[in-house]
Amino acid sequence: MIGSSPWARRFLTTVGIFGLAFLTVPLLVVIPMSFSSARALTFPPPGLSLRWYETFFGDARWMEAMGTSATVALISSVVSLFLGGLAAYGLRRGAFVGRGWIEANFMAPLIVPTIIAAVALYLGLAKVGLLGSLIGLVVAHTILTIPLVIMVLGVAIRELDIRIEQVAWSLGASWAYTMRKVVLPNLAPSVFAAWIFAFIGSFDEVIVTSFIAGKYETVPKKMFNELILEVNPTITAVATLLIAFTILALAAVAFILGRAGKLRPTLS
Amino acid sequence: MTRSAPFEGVGYVAPLLVLMFVAFNAPIAYMLGFGFWEKSRGFTLEHYAGLLEAPVYLRVLGNTMRIALVATLANILIGYPLALWMRGLGSRARMIALALVVLPFWVSLLVRTYAWIVVLGNGGLVNRGLQWAGLTDAPVAFLYNEVGVTIGMANVLLPFLVLPLFAAMIRIDDRLLQAAASMGAPPRMIFWKVFFPLTLPALAAGALLVFILSLGFYVTPAILGGGRVPMISNLLDTLINQIPRWEQASAISTILLVATLLIFAAYRRLDRRASP
Amino acid sequence: MKRRAFVGAAAGLPALSILGSGHARAEAKEIRMIEAGGKSGDSVEAGYIEPFTKKTGIKVVRESPNPLGKLRALVESGQTSTVLMELGSGGMLQARNLKLIEPVDWAAVAPQPMFPEAKHEYGFGYQYFSTIMAWRAGAKAPKTWADFFNTKDFPGKRCLPDYANYALSFALLSTGVTPDKLFPLDLDTAFKRLNEIKKDIAVWWKAGAQAPQLMKDNEVQYAICWSGRVVGDPAFEVNFAGGMADLSYFTIVKNSKPEDRAAAYKLMHEMSIAANQAKAATVVSYTGPSPDLDALLPKNKLGEYPTSKQNKDVQWIENAEWWATNGEAVNQKWEAFKLSL
Repeated sequence: MIGSSPWARRFLTTVGIFGLAFLTVPLLVVIPMSFSSARALTFPPPGLSLRWYETFFGDARWMEAMGTSATVALISSVVSLFLGGLAAYGLRRGAFVGRGWIEANFMAPLIVPTIIAAVALYLGLAKVGLLGSLIGLVVAHTILTIPLVIMVLGVAIRELDIRIEQVAWSLGASWAYTMRKVVLPNLAPSVFAAWIFAFIGSFDEVIVTSFIAGKYETVPKKMFNELILEVNPTITAVATLLIAFTILALAAVAFILGRAGKLRPTLS
Repeated sequence: MTRSAPFEGVGYVAPLLVLMFVAFNAPIAYMLGFGFWEKSRGFTLEHYAGLLEAPVYLRVLGNTMRIALVATLANILIGYPLALWMRGLGSRARMIALALVVLPFWVSLLVRTYAWIVVLGNGGLVNRGLQWAGLTDAPVAFLYNEVGVTIGMANVLLPFLVLPLFAAMIRIDDRLLQAAASMGAPPRMIFWKVFFPLTLPALAAGALLVFILSLGFYVTPAILGGGRVPMISNLLDTLINQIPRWEQASAISTILLVATLLIFAAYRRLDRRASP
Repeated sequence: MKRRAFVGAAAGLPALSILGSGHARAEAKEIRMIEAGGKSGDSVEAGYIEPFTKKTGIKVVRESPNPLGKLRALVESGQTSTVLMELGSGGMLQARNLKLIEPVDWAAVAPQPMFPEAKHEYGFGYQYFSTIMAWRAGAKAPKTWADFFNTKDFPGKRCLPDYANYALSFALLSTGVTPDKLFPLDLDTAFKRLNEIKKDIAVWWKAGAQAPQLMKDNEVQYAICWSGRVVGDPAFEVNFAGGMADLSYFTIVKNSKPEDRAAAYKLMHEMSIAANQAKAATVVSYTGPSPDLDALLPKNKLGEYPTSKQNKDVQWIENAEWWATNGEAVNQKWEAFKLSL
């Protein structure tokens, strides 16, 4: 319907493919580099070798960093999604005073320069004795990813016609039922986007983590430290593994959703 | 909402608000307080006066805002058509496109930035391609200047714009557009009068998000800028970790915070006016 | 490792109580240090922590990285858990001025002979590193800083550090100023020199890995970088002449516990032993402060180390005091300079 004129269609297709290519160029470079036999980041790789994968899997410190990163990212993204989702709903559907201020407050972790947030979180966590602990990392990462969740879900909830919910209530549905069966399914794509942002936001976070993690290592912290001191293709192996993992996970999700017939756009 | 009690719905935000106050607001207020305090003299505005007298730090702030604006525009120009195109794809192609948008996320920011060095460098893929195609005969400097930084930033930020925009676009029912067509509206009018306004909230939110994220970028300008693109987060890092002058860092951060909050407030005002 | 530590602890306890000079004090079982991480941290582990833990049974928990802001936050928040903090020479003096660190009790350290600049009132200079000129193997070899900054006779792109204390000092040396007359810095002349060749300076690096990478990729042909990254690599050639030698120091954090400090001083003692320094130098090409170290280093690699006799004599030591006083004012000029690039 949109872009039904051939001119518009060609324009869209060109920009669309260019956009996708632009996004994937780093992938196309990183994946071959991870199989490179050279010590520095050269492209194209002079020879093929699995040494960087061996370095990664063989090094207990990398494995530990991976475990820490994954754990913190998983927990903090879920907590962030839950708290942020609730808050976004309250901000959009609620009628209490000071909504603008409160929303600005929730967005603050994104706006405040990261290094300032790093020192502030250091002082805050130290006060409650959570410095250098996994819980402290989860708390910090949750706070840092909340703005992303609220932004994404805030827009989606506002787009959701409230009359659907009102219809459900008037038919006798409880709050929990309405949430589960009416609101969430309609928000599903945005919930997915919000969760991804929160997860990646936590996984990639390096500046605050460098300050507060104590003796814990996370993947980006280790990469950043090493990049300061030497450039090492092991990080490309890490990246390729994550890409492979994501492809598998997305394929699995697509398979499951496809089975359940949920891939077509629905009336919202 | 039908009723208008002043505290209705506050229960939804209360848990998060408490967490924010304790773990974030209080320490941040303490940090920003450094900008207003001098050990021997107590409350003072001399740090702000100092910033005005030697405005180089404010110039860096201005520089950062300009670059952030350019990166945001670049994102909109590429991201909106991209999301629109994805909406028109069949479900299998759409999944693949979506995967390609999400996949780069998984490549850590650091690795992606270094990948751009390989691509944009003097001996990199783009330059080699241009010379092979005969379009240039000397390497074009894409890196270690604002162009490289903007490209690197746009690359990282594009999914932040595209994903929410796409999510909003697929919820626009085709039948709405068909109805407009059946009433005789030409395709261009359907787009600008029906479709585009419906996507505007998501676009505005995405653009704001991208702009704010651009302001705070640290890694990409540091590596792709080659020291020639001073941005505020690198400056603040110097003031916190190298010099160190927490007072000035706090003063600059407060200014940045206030400026961004004003932009955010303007966005919310437009937003509220546009929504029913 | 656990069994050895237990036996070590049993043997170490009497030694520690002697250090307590009669007071009934708790003994530290474990101390924390914040260090730079990466290979440097590994060198500390291999060279000093291993023999220390073997002798005393006290474990050392390492944390990285070590930005100065972290130390300030540490002391601001009243933490007493960390006793050792690695800082650069500038950082150490800033920390001293901000009252974040304590003076080192050198009597308790009882070190083996050390170069005098490493035995600072506020820190143990455990690692020398040099900032020197380097170039791609095959490019025309500069002998002096005047050569390096001469883009006409030595054509090629340069990569300079995005740090005022390196760039300005070397620029000034290239105009003919000798190291002993370098400070106080003539900023105008230094900036003028940089402005003269700025279109040939392709990149200003902040991360140590950038310069060697750029030379390998042939994006630049000449660079000023930290010695440990370029020595011993056939792709580069180096020249220590006129280079700047500087130290990384381990400092004692304010408000740290007395028993932690006692242990820290013992660790510092290990850092002064030449044999340990030789071990550390095998991990990373930086050297410890012992004058006797030369004899223990591999003969064919002597040219790679900052303090081997041949290199130490041609370098000059960084004047961290001047930078501690003037760093902030210079930084404003530096940021303005970068905006003009």
